[in-house]
Amino acid sequence: MNKTIIININGIVFHIEEDAYDVLKLYMTDVKRHFSTSADSLEITTDIENRIAEMFNEILASQSKQVIVEQDVKLVIEQMGSVEDFESAESDTKAPGSSSYTYNTERRRLFRDPDDHLVSGVAAGIANYFDIPAVWIRLAFVIFLCVAGSGFFLYVILWMVIPKALSRADRMAMKGEKQDLKGFKKSFEEELSSVKENPHNFQHEARPFVYKTRDFIGDFFDHLGVFLKGAGSLLGKIIAGGILLGCFGLAITLIVVVIMFLAFGKTDIYHIFPFNIVNHNTNLVFIAGGFLLLAIPLTAIILLIIGFLFRNASFNRSVGTTLLCVWLAALGAVVYYGVRASVDFREGARLNTTINIKAPANNTYYLQLNDAKYLSNEDSTRLRIKERFNGMVILDDDFNGNDEMDGPNRVSIDIEKSDVQQPVLVESFTARGRDYEDALTNTKNITYRFIQKDSILKFDRHLERTSGTLWRGQDLHLTLKVPLNSKLVIDPKLDVNIGFNPYDCQEKNKPLNPLGARYIMKENGIDCDIPPVPQATIDSLRRQEVADSLKNANQQ
Amino acid sequence: MIVENTQTQMRKGILEYCILSIIAKGETYASDIIAELKKAQLLVVEGTLYPLLTRLKNNGLLTYNWVESVSGPPRKYYVLSDEGRNVLEQLDKTWQELVYAVQTAIGDRK
Repeated sequence: MNKTIIININGIVFHIEEDAYDVLKLYMTDVKRHFSTSADSLEITTDIENRIAEMFNEILASQSKQVIVEQDVKLVIEQMGSVEDFESAESDTKAPGSSSYTYNTERRRLFRDPDDHLVSGVAAGIANYFDIPAVWIRLAFVIFLCVAGSGFFLYVILWMVIPKALSRADRMAMKGEKQDLKGFKKSFEEELSSVKENPHNFQHEARPFVYKTRDFIGDFFDHLGVFLKGAGSLLGKIIAGGILLGCFGLAITLIVVVIMFLAFGKTDIYHIFPFNIVNHNTNLVFIAGGFLLLAIPLTAIILLIIGFLFRNASFNRSVGTTLLCVWLAALGAVVYYGVRASVDFREGARLNTTINIKAPANNTYYLQLNDAKYLSNEDSTRLRIKERFNGMVILDDDFNGNDEMDGPNRVSIDIEKSDVQQPVLVESFTARGRDYEDALTNTKNITYRFIQKDSILKFDRHLERTSGTLWRGQDLHLTLKVPLNSKLVIDPKLDVNIGFNPYDCQEKNKPLNPLGARYIMKENGIDCDIPPVPQATIDSLRRQEVADSLKNANQQ
Repeated sequence: MIVENTQTQMRKGILEYCILSIIAKGETYASDIIAELKKAQLLVVEGTLYPLLTRLKNNGLLTYNWVESVSGPPRKYYVLSDEGRNVLEQLDKTWQELVYAVQTAIGDRK
């Protein structure tokens, strides 16, 4: 007993068995695709269909039966000829005989392979589709399993969406074998030989645990599938719908983020840390590439879920291949530009300059943070500083390490003992570049403001790059060298830049100095200037002891 | 392989001539044409005939009439057009020349 399907070929109705229909449909799809480039495609395929209908009628009449079976379809296809025969008849160089060896170049279709499955045949099906050993696909799934379990979800989704190869025609389409008599013969022989050798039983004995587990899980998912497909499919649809909504949400977020990036244009974000490494055009590549890298898998998941929800499980191969190619291209571009950007950091250079400092009169240096905001001419015109804020001092308020926004434009300060009486400030600029010259140019493009006003030394919080210079790990290390016994008063606001904590020292200083922590340069380096504690003399201690003992004696 | 290639080329060269000749005998149905071509080993499968017929028809060498059929959809019966007849006459001449040329060549060899 077999299920039959009713088909209509140009106005004539046939009853055809399901397997036979699969073969016929594949054949007609191939024929239509073959002639699709021709201008007379419709006429030719109609002629062929009409002729097939006629042959079916003849077969049915001659054998006085009502249903077309696989054998009949194969006969008709043999008579009509396969697409390969058409090709060899049309091409000038190919002889008819030469094409019979190209079994595996036929179009393949994606099915789950029920003959070579470890879990549900997803990996084997994909392997068949790309004609590679299944072990690689399985390995890939296992590897992706380690990436936040994404391999598992991908597998389950594919399991739901990819249909199982049920008929022999499905299996042949899965392996890309020709859908004609030769192909059928081959597949039939393979089946026979596999029955003879009984490889499945053999594997059952060899790896019983794996297979029992697999069968159990397989049964579980089969039942789950039946459950989902049956009356309970509501739950599955709700879950799939939830995932779908989540994916849509992510997609919308992604689009909004990209639009924000593009809308910011060349102004704001390109001064924020990761974006100021490369120039604007490269940034566009990174944004577009990153967008594609995320958007394409998201789209694929959405399409797969829609396919599951609406029972439309066909994943268009050309669209899939195109998306995969675009994704790989995006990956390539991002990696390429990433490597190129990293090349810009290959060499390092250092530039030292020494500034002589005038020794202050009372040998005390006041180290302070210069938090006045400096504006370029352009900015001050734009903000109308002179009209609106005339006579006010604008402070640089990005305290609490907010300057990380502008990339780590680090400035560190060291204080050392000078061997000579002349106090100096050594500015040591470092930067990286493509080669040494480039790196040196980048160090030269660093500007830093240091101001001495009598005994007050004012340090900027960060260095500045000349406009147009990209972030190349520019770094500034300042070394202040002062002679022995110099006194320093360090403003605690400088604590991000110096290696020690002035707050602690300020606590120890008595009396508190409102201007900062007092330090003194000693022989072995800088030290907190702790005022001497008034020492108790031995006499006074003794007197206390005697008084205590007398008191004790009186009590006894 | 070279033998097969040459054979294919030779068969292909005379295929259209043969089709026109078969149709010249009167109204012909595609499967009748195939039957004759199969006998002559010029064509093996039917599917390849339809594109050829369509091309000849589009070139104005053939026309067809629809004829009702007892065993299926209406059939296309092909006939030669006037232009087709002219072409066929020219091809006849060419064929005679070819036969002569080939026989001369073979004759020397034998």
